[in-house]
Amino acid sequence: MKKAHRHIRGLVAAMIAVSAIAVPVVAASSAHASVELSFWSWRPEDTAFWTAETAKFQAATGITVKYTPYVATDYNATLATALTAGKGPDVMQIRAYGGMSSLSDAGNFIPLTSKEVPMLAKMAPGTLAGAQGYKDKRQFGVPYSTSVLGVFYNPDILSKAGVTANPTGWAGLLSAMDKVKKAGYTALAVGTGYAPGLEQMWGAISPAFYGGNAFFKSIVAGSTNFNDPAFVASLKAETQLFPYMPAGASGLDYNTQRALFANGKAGFYIGGSYELSYFRSLNASANIGWFPSPAAVAGGARYVTNWADGAYAINAKTTHKAEAMKFLNFIASKPLMQDGANQLGWIPPVAGISSSEPAITAMQRKIPTMGTPFLTLVGFRYGAPTSSSIMQPGFQKVASGALTVEGLAKSIQDGVATWYAPFTK
Amino acid sequence: MAKQGLKRQQNRMALMLLTPALATILIFTTIPAFTTLSYAFFHWDGFQRGSFAGFENFSRLFHFPFREQFLIALRHNLLVFVGIFLIQTSLGIFLAYALFKIRRGQRFHRTVAFFPVIFSLVIVGYTWQIILNPFFGPVNYIFHSLHLDTFARSWLGETSTALPTLVFINLWRWVGFPTIIFLAGLNAISTDYVEAARIDGASEGQIFRKILFPLLAPSMTIVTILTFIGAFEWFDLPYVLGGSSGGPAGATDTLALMFYRLSFGSVDSIANQIGIGSALGVLIFLIVGVGATLGAKWLRGREVEA
Amino acid sequence: MIRIIGSKLFWRSVLIFNAISVLLPVFFLVNSSLRSSTDFANNPMQLAKHPYWHNFAQVWQNGDFANFLKNSLVITGGSLVFILAFGVGAGFVLGRYQFRGQNLILGFVLTAMLIPAKLMILPLFIQLKWMHLLDSQIGLILVYASGSLPAAIFILSGFFRALPVDLDNAARMDGASEGQMIRKVLMPLVKPGLAIVTIYAAIPIWNDFFLPLVFIQSPEKKTIMQGLTIFFGEYASQWGVLFAGLMIASLPLIILYLILSEQFIKGLTAGAVKG
Repeated sequence: MKKAHRHIRGLVAAMIAVSAIAVPVVAASSAHASVELSFWSWRPEDTAFWTAETAKFQAATGITVKYTPYVATDYNATLATALTAGKGPDVMQIRAYGGMSSLSDAGNFIPLTSKEVPMLAKMAPGTLAGAQGYKDKRQFGVPYSTSVLGVFYNPDILSKAGVTANPTGWAGLLSAMDKVKKAGYTALAVGTGYAPGLEQMWGAISPAFYGGNAFFKSIVAGSTNFNDPAFVASLKAETQLFPYMPAGASGLDYNTQRALFANGKAGFYIGGSYELSYFRSLNASANIGWFPSPAAVAGGARYVTNWADGAYAINAKTTHKAEAMKFLNFIASKPLMQDGANQLGWIPPVAGISSSEPAITAMQRKIPTMGTPFLTLVGFRYGAPTSSSIMQPGFQKVASGALTVEGLAKSIQDGVATWYAPFTK
Repeated sequence: MAKQGLKRQQNRMALMLLTPALATILIFTTIPAFTTLSYAFFHWDGFQRGSFAGFENFSRLFHFPFREQFLIALRHNLLVFVGIFLIQTSLGIFLAYALFKIRRGQRFHRTVAFFPVIFSLVIVGYTWQIILNPFFGPVNYIFHSLHLDTFARSWLGETSTALPTLVFINLWRWVGFPTIIFLAGLNAISTDYVEAARIDGASEGQIFRKILFPLLAPSMTIVTILTFIGAFEWFDLPYVLGGSSGGPAGATDTLALMFYRLSFGSVDSIANQIGIGSALGVLIFLIVGVGATLGAKWLRGREVEA
Repeated sequence: MIRIIGSKLFWRSVLIFNAISVLLPVFFLVNSSLRSSTDFANNPMQLAKHPYWHNFAQVWQNGDFANFLKNSLVITGGSLVFILAFGVGAGFVLGRYQFRGQNLILGFVLTAMLIPAKLMILPLFIQLKWMHLLDSQIGLILVYASGSLPAAIFILSGFFRALPVDLDNAARMDGASEGQMIRKVLMPLVKPGLAIVTIYAAIPIWNDFFLPLVFIQSPEKKTIMQGLTIFFGEYASQWGVLFAGLMIASLPLIILYLILSEQFIKGLTAGAVKG
């Protein structure tokens, strides 16, 4: 019996030993070489950009950076599990506002001040807020770009269709789309297949209907809610665009819809500034124009929805803090932001950088006068279910006729009210 | 004395040989299973466990906003089970009977029929995604060139066709499996019965209906139970083709996908709900466990001895 | 009508029709992987008359596929080592010895067979973290081993039980110890069982993408199926490259299946077909 015990002990010891050996072996392999930082992002589209920039960084500092992009829709779960596992990259792109707050509140990122990253001092408080926690209000990331929503158009198609001036009112936009459609082109290169695209399109057109900043303030304060007729009207406006989508719109995926527009097959694309770099990568010479979303009635107020797109943060568990901080300062440097503006369509959060892309410059110019926050993204992503997670499939249901816009508004209100304190008062 | 020595040697041997296997199962299956159960009874804040919650997580599953999702997902699981069961089982028997009748070339056809079973669902899913792409896929290309434009639609993108399309892809991937099981069942039936019936003048159809089909009951039991378990744990194919939210608009949502979202957060938010997720996990396990056990018992009772 | 259904010709054409519907998508996959992306976009239904091997070169250079394949091999192989070594031991004891508590152990094993790893992914995640086995291949291997062991034990104990009792007695008479008896006498006789268990366990492990998705974080440790999902995000509309990636990921199993189809069918339906 004693001997049997020894056998068991031997076996258990062997099992533990096998598992124990595996961990240090894996860890040791990366410790030896000169420092290599791991760097994660949700933008596979930006691989070429970061390959070039990290090469510059290596030439200057001797630090290697390995860029690993994930599919955007998988990124949150991947990053959350990795960080919770105590692993994850040294440096990473993080979502803005509620998209990252539960991670920062759990202490996954190194808090930053302008002492470590001097560039932070030059950024506007509104931009910085995107990379602060919900409970813990310290700064956890360096914002890189303000995203802007609006209307992209193809000037060649519009002139062929007889649209001479950019529409300034909603009716004008719809009749322009009508003309493009009658001229035999796809009017609007957005489909119902890619659910986040539906929310972004809504984000672009909606403030004119609900009334921009004033409504944003009152709904965040809880003095009105998503059942407000103004909000319902903004949902309704989106549905008026559905007839201008191409046939098979429900099967249109993100890449295909962007390709339709970039390759000159469609008149309009309503979306964000971050689409430009992908348009260019598909068709460098594409003729692309941009104008702010139209007013509800021509001559009325127009809004340019914008928000801090995301930020770059350092893992609290990194073993290369000094190197990671160097890289973060490299990202926050003017030359890199300039490259980002030119190549990725960034609207950098610091003054004095203008893009070589005319559409980006046009957006940048409108922000101070027409800027308004992206309601669902900035205000209501701090708890589950988020307004976005109800709105995105909700629009798909509305498109298929399974839901009315009033019903959608109500389900958003009911869902958000389960966690958003000002609604429960 | 020698016998006792042998007994002792065997005891030692048994202990030594059983321990590694049982310890592995205990540590990586049994204990986590009980932990899942315990998680379901606590409040959670992200990955931090909070206070005891009693049955609150279970009851929240049946209240807004989870109730609607839960019922839709459950309905999809049921539909998938019925759909797969009806189509896959009848087609499986049909193909098995064809293989049973045809001896020359049987080996080739068996190999081909089983072929898709070995593919990963990632590969199956992506391949069919391209085949069914409404803009570049060959399926719509064919429909268009045949002027059957009504069939050239976005099969995976429309809420009304997405789930049936997934069932169809599942059929392509998996029908070889029941086919082989039914073939083995047919082969196990003694030829005496068939010969005797044939001498009595029974037709092929009568022989199949009256003799072969009833004697296939044991195979039927196995296929039914496996289909049931597979349908209620359906995850891989809907995840690959519709994402974790069961797109479009939740038309392909299943209980397992909902469990995944609650556990790891959805596309736009990292906020997860481990307590409610674990409660759902326990429920899925109960549905599968109780359903499979009762089903097996009932089906076994109906089997006739071959 | 009845006569038609009774005829061999009818059943043969059923099989031929089935073969076509099974093989057409596979042929499409192979064919499209040999066409350039623009060629495919112009017309998805053309034969690749001039194979465009560049797709494969691009996958191999940019996709990290060699590393993914290696990782999948390590994880599948590593899991098999545990499953076979532990499974043979436990299968032998449960199949050949009589002792008190045997049914209890069998019940424990059978219950574990019903619990899918997917449903306890969270506790496993937290437990592996606590054991420092997250983002580690050995951690994933142990989870897979635990998942397949119950069925392996069940199958192998059946094989051991089927061997005549006299074998043991004869070996013991010759003075063999229990260990020698297993290795020299019984093991060669249960080889078909080992083959079945190998296939039964290895194919689902090779094909799985879910557990690696949750348990493996470092890009350099990812498996082929997990790698494929990332690859698809990156080469979104470069059809030729995507098809080539799918081909490379599925080729190892296709080749093995062409050689060992009978073993595959037996192994994968093991547990569902008696005997």
